[in-house]
Amino acid sequence: MIQFDKVTKRYPGSDEILKNISFNIDAGEFVFLTGHSGAGKSTLLKLIAATERPTSGTVLIANQNVSQLKPSAIPFLRRRFGLIFQDHKLLYDRNCFENVILPLHINGISGQEAAKRVRAALDKVGLLHKEKAMPITLSGGEQQRLAIARAVVSRPSILLADEPTGNLDASYAADIMAIFYAFNQVGVTVIMSTHDALGMSTAQNRVLHINQGSLSEPLLNTSNFNQESSSIERFTS
Amino acid sequence: MSNWLNQHIQTLKLVLKRMQANTLSTFMICLVIGVAMCLPSLFYLAVDNLSKLTDHIQKDTEISLFLNVEAGAGAIKTIERQLAQNEEIERFHLVTKEEAWKQLQLKSQSNQDVNDAVSQLGKNPLPDAFFIQAKSADPDSLIQLKDTLQNLPNVELALLNTEWVKRLSSLLSLGKKLISMIAGLLAIVLLVIIGNTVRMQILTQKDEIEVSNLIGATSSFIRMPFLYAGALYGLFGGLMAVLMLIGIIHVFNLSMSQIAHLYSNDFSLSLFNLQLFLAVIIIAVCIGWAGSYIAVSRAIASYKIN
Repeated sequence: MIQFDKVTKRYPGSDEILKNISFNIDAGEFVFLTGHSGAGKSTLLKLIAATERPTSGTVLIANQNVSQLKPSAIPFLRRRFGLIFQDHKLLYDRNCFENVILPLHINGISGQEAAKRVRAALDKVGLLHKEKAMPITLSGGEQQRLAIARAVVSRPSILLADEPTGNLDASYAADIMAIFYAFNQVGVTVIMSTHDALGMSTAQNRVLHINQGSLSEPLLNTSNFNQESSSIERFTS
Repeated sequence: MSNWLNQHIQTLKLVLKRMQANTLSTFMICLVIGVAMCLPSLFYLAVDNLSKLTDHIQKDTEISLFLNVEAGAGAIKTIERQLAQNEEIERFHLVTKEEAWKQLQLKSQSNQDVNDAVSQLGKNPLPDAFFIQAKSADPDSLIQLKDTLQNLPNVELALLNTEWVKRLSSLLSLGKKLISMIAGLLAIVLLVIIGNTVRMQILTQKDEIEVSNLIGATSSFIRMPFLYAGALYGLFGGLMAVLMLIGIIHVFNLSMSQIAHLYSNDFSLSLFNLQLFLAVIIIAVCIGWAGSYIAVSRAIASYKIN
């Protein structure tokens, strides 16, 4: 699904943020991306979401080489992803319903079908009763849940979350994690960056750790085990 | 197809809703566009109407034919016959020296100095005269006609005053050139104003562009509402310009009719120049669209990945 091969990223006038990184993420995995602030977690996620291009090396998303994509093809690649940001990036000039419907409009879905899917997404994150509310009136945890609803409404196969629980207290964070696990259970690949992996991960999760631009995989588990378990979960759910 | 149409309708609704939410600033922008469109249009109307007026005046141009003071009734008859036979002459009338003398005395009564001068003359110094209206209004053929009339026997002087008509028409053509220059300059101003307005709007909707871009919106999708906004600013601005034009022309005609009455002339600016109004609106819409296209394309380019 996502393949990094000897990927290096350097911004003009800075050191290498990511050095020679190679890894492989299969469909249906739940991957934690850990490391200190500034270690390069966000940059790695940006490379996956094709908002940045690698300085060298190749990034393959669903067998498409991101570096070789035409600019006009990139929007269509991005529609495979649901993006969740630490600062939510909600639009505060419109209500919850209108925030969530935006990806559907971008995909050319409107009318009854769109409304149905928006309500389904809001229901999944427990915000169905707030569809008319403005995002500014929601609590931090609710705003993040709204951002998740927006990310999943177009049914992406990959969820990318950049420190989604970074600004939340423990109980809200647990809510958010439960939602991510639920999506992973139905086969969505989840890649989530966090600086607090120990508090989040369970034995089933694969962890990619970035330290000063280099990647390592701490032995919390093996990826084989993870794949097996997630496929079993998918089967049973 | 219906999906495509639906998307456009949705966008249009969104844009109108936003404009409604910012009524005052929308109104100001439209006002600026309206005034900028109004100025060259007004200038155009003025020149257009003046050139119509000069056509009118040129038609009224007379050739005055003054006979020798000694010319008798027989000579007058001969000339009258010749004028009647001339194909180029529309109509003419004779003012005899006695009639002219009476008219002069009558008119000079109101002015003491002229009256004194006239009464001191004692005898009638005026010649018999024909006033001739040609069929053609073209200055060159008028001059030709004047020359043939000059050569008739017993004609002292044939008089044609086309010089000022010529000057007026050359001034008018200069005016027309000036309009196109002013219109060109104002078009650039409009492009900048609308482009800048849309740029300001982009600043307030930066988040929306960024988020849309991140979740896979194509450039044309992001561009669409801004293009609609620009075109709508143009449309409303153009309509405002037309309203202003109608208002100005109306006020102008009211005072003009008083002046025209004094000159016993039936002159007024033609009000419903539908072609001009349509042109104003269409040009405003095009400029609005182009201005926002430039602005939003620049904004999108800044989100291109590197």
